[in-house]
Amino acid sequence: MDETLLAALAKAAGLDKAWQDHPEDVAAAAAQALNTANAIQAPTDPAAEPWPPMRAGVGL
Amino acid sequence: MSTDLAYLSAAEASRAFAARTLSPVELMQALLARIERLDPQINAFIRLDAEAALAAARAAEQEITAGRIRGPLHGVPVGIKDIIDVAGLPTTCHSKILLDNVAQQDAVVVQKLRQAGAIVMGKLSTHEFAIGGPSFDLPFPPARNPWNRDHHPGGSSSGSGAGVAAGFFPLALGTDTGGSVRNPASACGIVGHKPTYGLVSRRGVFPLSFTLDHVGPLTRTVADNALLLDAIAGHDPADPGSTPTQARYFGRFLDRGVRGLRIGFVRHFHETDMPADPEVTAALEHVARVLEAEGAEVRSVTLHSLGEFSGLNRVILCSEAWSIHAPWLRSRPGDYGQLARRRLLPGAFIPSGEYVGAQRRRLQVIAGVEDVFRDVDVLLCASSMDPASRIEDAEETGRTYPRQARLPFNVTGHPALAMRSGFSRNGLPLSVQFVGRYFDDATVFRVAAVCEKSMVDKTLRPPLM
Repeated sequence: MDETLLAALAKAAGLDKAWQDHPEDVAAAAAQALNTANAIQAPTDPAAEPWPPMRAGVGL
Repeated sequence: MSTDLAYLSAAEASRAFAARTLSPVELMQALLARIERLDPQINAFIRLDAEAALAAARAAEQEITAGRIRGPLHGVPVGIKDIIDVAGLPTTCHSKILLDNVAQQDAVVVQKLRQAGAIVMGKLSTHEFAIGGPSFDLPFPPARNPWNRDHHPGGSSSGSGAGVAAGFFPLALGTDTGGSVRNPASACGIVGHKPTYGLVSRRGVFPLSFTLDHVGPLTRTVADNALLLDAIAGHDPADPGSTPTQARYFGRFLDRGVRGLRIGFVRHFHETDMPADPEVTAALEHVARVLEAEGAEVRSVTLHSLGEFSGLNRVILCSEAWSIHAPWLRSRPGDYGQLARRRLLPGAFIPSGEYVGAQRRRLQVIAGVEDVFRDVDVLLCASSMDPASRIEDAEETGRTYPRQARLPFNVTGHPALAMRSGFSRNGLPLSVQFVGRYFDDATVFRVAAVCEKSMVDKTLRPPLM
């Protein structure tokens, strides 16, 4: 991943200190996040609800 | 001390206490002496609370002698993973970040154990925050495998698995977000159960991923595991994930056998999705034959692929963990070990839409597993695809650690148990996993008890001095 882009992503996430002190870990994490996101088949049905569902009044 | 005393099950200890052939103090003293002698080789404990444990053993002895027996765990020692609060002791999560984090009160599971009369011995090693390990750059060393100290005991409940296998305590609590109770059970040749999501309270347990986290028991026998689950299960209105359920007496089917049970063998997990070590495969086929010989019907079934489950687990875990750790990752990134830092940071770069998409897909995947459970009673599948790696070989550990079939059932929340299926040629435990319907943990124990009786040689013990 391009270093300028990585720096911008890290800054946007509030990870300035981590980017300064552990740039290789931040780069590895960003690469992993990219791979991870590609592994998901999001539902094509727009009405498919997430799990766990919102349940009013439960768990309070 | 007698090695046999170290390997007494909780049920055996309880019977001996009731018969006055053994006292809780005698057992505790023997175990403390063993820990003092052997734990420097194993590192199961982060903090041993010997004084409090002995005092509790004396109190238990007085109560039992007076005929006030609270139940089968009264006077029985238990170890607690160090992400679970024990009042007055630090919950460090094996991390520099929380070195001085003294718990003000017991976690609900610890409260329940104390009510049952169990005796807390101390806090046990874990991967840092239950995700970063095995690591050598933390304030405490990683636990080691009692079957061979050069190998990893599994994680993240490493000290729980290693300590039970080493004969330091018969019972331990661990936590399981992607397999962290079942992995040490698999690596250390013991029994580890991830209960149905919502069966056991997580209040007072440091979270890793809210919708994937479970607390679960690790023991040397199936019967002890059911006893420990009996003690810690129950609805907790203050845990939003807790479910009101009447499920209890989890050992009630232990003597029933498996005749007539329909067992779905998820062969594609270890044959095509993630081809297992041949010894693991052979041991799984042996388990299937044993269950058939005992009267169960075993048939192949198909779930979603391990790759799909794994992607879901990663997106959900990383996103939820980031929401917990972001403040420290921003302000104190250098206070994490490198493994934890690398495993927690990806959540910073996963878009919110990916997380919600994963949770939406999760419902469809759960529905797929529920479809299979219309035709079978229990699933049989692999736990680890390989024997435990060498702990100091980061490449081998990095390659083999993700090769597992446990995380699907964190995604779905079904009860899942891992136990020994045999040994590799080099003497390391191999493992099998059984999975049940929601809140039917008792049937999982039922199948596991048959395997234990038919396959597990309880006289085999780690080669510790």
